[in-house]
Amino acid sequence: MSTARAVPDDSPQPGWRRYRPLAGAIPALLLVLVAIWEVVAVARAGSDVPADGDWERASAAVRARHQAGDLIVFAPEWIDPVGRLHLGDLIPVAMAGRMDAARYGRIWELSARGGRAPETRGLEPSWQQSFGALRVRLFERTPAVVLTDFVAAFAPGMARGPAAESLQEVGFEPHRCVLARPRPGGTVEVRYPAAELGRTLVGYVGLADVFTRRDDREPARLEVSVGGVTVADVVAGNDAGWVRFQAATAPGTAEVVFRASAGPNARNRLVCFAAEAHQ
Amino acid sequence: MTGRQRWITAVILLVVGTAAPLITQRDHGVVRDEVVYMNAGTAYARWWGDLFRGKGAATTEQITAHFGGKQVTDHNSEHPPLMKTLFGISEAVVSRFGGGQQHKVTAYRIPTALFFGLLLVMVFLFGASVWGWTEGVLAALLLLLMPRLLFHAGLATFDAPMVTVWTAALFAYYKSLERPWLWGALFGVAFGLALATKHNAVILPAAILVHWSWVLVRETRSRRAADTERGLGTALWRALLRRGPLTVPAMVVIGPLVLVALWPWLWFDTAHHVSRWIGFHLHHVDYNFEYLGQNWNHPPFPWHVAIVTTLFTVPTVTLVAGAIGAVQLIARARAGIASQPERAPALLLFLSAGVAMGPFLLRTTPIFGASKHWLPAMPTITLYAGVGLVVAVRLAVDRLARVGLLKRVERARPIAIAAVAVLVCTASAFETVDAQPYALTHYTALAGGAPGGADLGMNRQFWGYSAVGVLPFLDRVAAHSDEPLPVYSHDASMAWGVWMREGLLSRKLPDAGHEESGVRRSKLAIVIHELHFNRHDYMIWRDYGTVQPVYVLTTDGVPIVSVYARRGVISSTATRHPR
Repeated sequence: MSTARAVPDDSPQPGWRRYRPLAGAIPALLLVLVAIWEVVAVARAGSDVPADGDWERASAAVRARHQAGDLIVFAPEWIDPVGRLHLGDLIPVAMAGRMDAARYGRIWELSARGGRAPETRGLEPSWQQSFGALRVRLFERTPAVVLTDFVAAFAPGMARGPAAESLQEVGFEPHRCVLARPRPGGTVEVRYPAAELGRTLVGYVGLADVFTRRDDREPARLEVSVGGVTVADVVAGNDAGWVRFQAATAPGTAEVVFRASAGPNARNRLVCFAAEAHQ
Repeated sequence: MTGRQRWITAVILLVVGTAAPLITQRDHGVVRDEVVYMNAGTAYARWWGDLFRGKGAATTEQITAHFGGKQVTDHNSEHPPLMKTLFGISEAVVSRFGGGQQHKVTAYRIPTALFFGLLLVMVFLFGASVWGWTEGVLAALLLLLMPRLLFHAGLATFDAPMVTVWTAALFAYYKSLERPWLWGALFGVAFGLALATKHNAVILPAAILVHWSWVLVRETRSRRAADTERGLGTALWRALLRRGPLTVPAMVVIGPLVLVALWPWLWFDTAHHVSRWIGFHLHHVDYNFEYLGQNWNHPPFPWHVAIVTTLFTVPTVTLVAGAIGAVQLIARARAGIASQPERAPALLLFLSAGVAMGPFLLRTTPIFGASKHWLPAMPTITLYAGVGLVVAVRLAVDRLARVGLLKRVERARPIAIAAVAVLVCTASAFETVDAQPYALTHYTALAGGAPGGADLGMNRQFWGYSAVGVLPFLDRVAAHSDEPLPVYSHDASMAWGVWMREGLLSRKLPDAGHEESGVRRSKLAIVIHELHFNRHDYMIWRDYGTVQPVYVLTTDGVPIVSVYARRGVISSTATRHPR
């Protein structure tokens, strides 16, 4: 029986095969490349965040074109405090705690790092300009005509049970709302005897205060009736945030009733709701 | 490497590791928990002083008055005392030698810094003894250059010291596998110190027991293979005597005894006090914590918190080196050429990291402390990284030589290792320097820095310490006022008095109090930006009638603290913090 022994081939490898062993250098090369990338990336950190000068020029541009009632928003959300530092005097508390943006016909968006505010989603800007890392865009559209703002129209005598107009944190956002505090297993009723209605009733409900949401895990419920007919029945869960509801209504005047109820084990349920009758 | 070289390196690391956090901490604010620990530490140190001076301290009443009370949080009895006692002793010693009020906080923080120096020494010595001097030094340096660990190493808290005592216990156990009696006893002492530092020490035995079982099985097998005459029982018994006979007694007897010895609160009603301590942490309230854009305050928590947060807070280059090291160590083990295979050091490190991070995979463990709660996993990463870097560069040099692109391999190898090590450490240093002084807002390049972390919805900060950055602004405001300007300080309220004592804050800026009534009393208000603290903004808007802050502190452009002023308090809008 003959056996064949492998003989090392010392002849020069043709072309690129000669460099095949260099694959073993890839881990070291990777380390070098990652280290260089990390140095550069850290050195550049924050360079695409607007500088003071960007904000100053951008806010001057907004102020030059701003009209009373214009909504101003910032994106991404985390630049909001700096945005309010520069333009907060043009943002009334009620506007910051808005139910939603439907009633605003002109919206200013100041954004960085490609951010987009949810209020401008789907809209095309009518004007835009960049100031360093900050982009300013103006969006114009036909606003919703609000016939009744149920928060503004609220008066303490309308409520059966503890309720008040308030600015609250719901889903980590500010919302001006009617804050109802139903007892465990109880209901707070807020009655608007003659509200002016249009074709649509739009509203939102949510649970206020992060700590009560953490400690009381039962959801709350909001039932809305128009002229004795239930038009919306919404469950507001602890992690649901600001929950939208909408109902078709007949134009005219009608009694509108909001009933906020808490589960039997919810000791401190803060039900925050807002609604608008749109033409 | 000679013993002398080894000890010179260790001393240098001790000095650098102690000095670095002491230097960086000067710009850190006082974190909420520190105030509690400082106060408790002063009381504990005073009690020990009374005990040694024979002032009748060892009575139930005196111990309760200094260490306990009816409520579980009285005198901070929900946390063991070792570090607090050292904080108190350190402050007392520094005060005696003339440290003024301005240096009180630093005095309390010295023990943590010293422990950090010791950690670097231990990591170096372990790495050097198992894999080599270069690997050990690299592991220690990369540990020094971990932004969040360095931050915690400059605080009078337990998280960085926990890494030291956890690692000490781990390495003492490892040594006990070779020199069972002395190191076995030292392992028990180190484990006791870990128990006396923080409650998460109770999970360390899980790593030890799994590893020890593996070592025993291996040793038993090899003994039976060497001497087939002997039975399994004999082989196992001899393996047990050879490899850590004190392992279980150290954890069950010595460790708890050390804990009790250091914690007078356990000198009576021991079972009750222990169960109260552990029960507090088993039923700990779930704090709010932002992670990937969501606020988490109740289980189930995401299983990937520890992994993703580590990816975004440990320098990427360290993680890459660590991954290369892990692959290499596995390959060596499979090929039967691992270092000290009978004691499996790489496996021990893996288990240590796994146990440190493991509870956060369960989805029930609160995530509010983020990376600080699994910091004991970090030495594993850097020791693997030390191995990974050296192996990767050696391999590259050898391959370059093989294709004829490099000559004088022996000379080129150390030069190449040094060059890549400098580059890797430079990258980590960039991250670490960039993280100062707001390291809890910092995320690494992989996340896109602090702005990237904000985009991803990662926690902005916690503990309220960054309020220190707005104190100069508040002081400027106070300087222009003839009357007191109470400040609504919310999460920084516990540090307020400390900053006033340290001279960082004008006496004209008292804390206004808590929640709605505090806002109503205030003339100025701060909001420390965390997602669940948005409610403080809205309380202030409601009361001040404006959404416009007068000052916003930022780091890399990311807002961390806003200051509001009631109308009329400030006439002109202030400037932002330059960074």
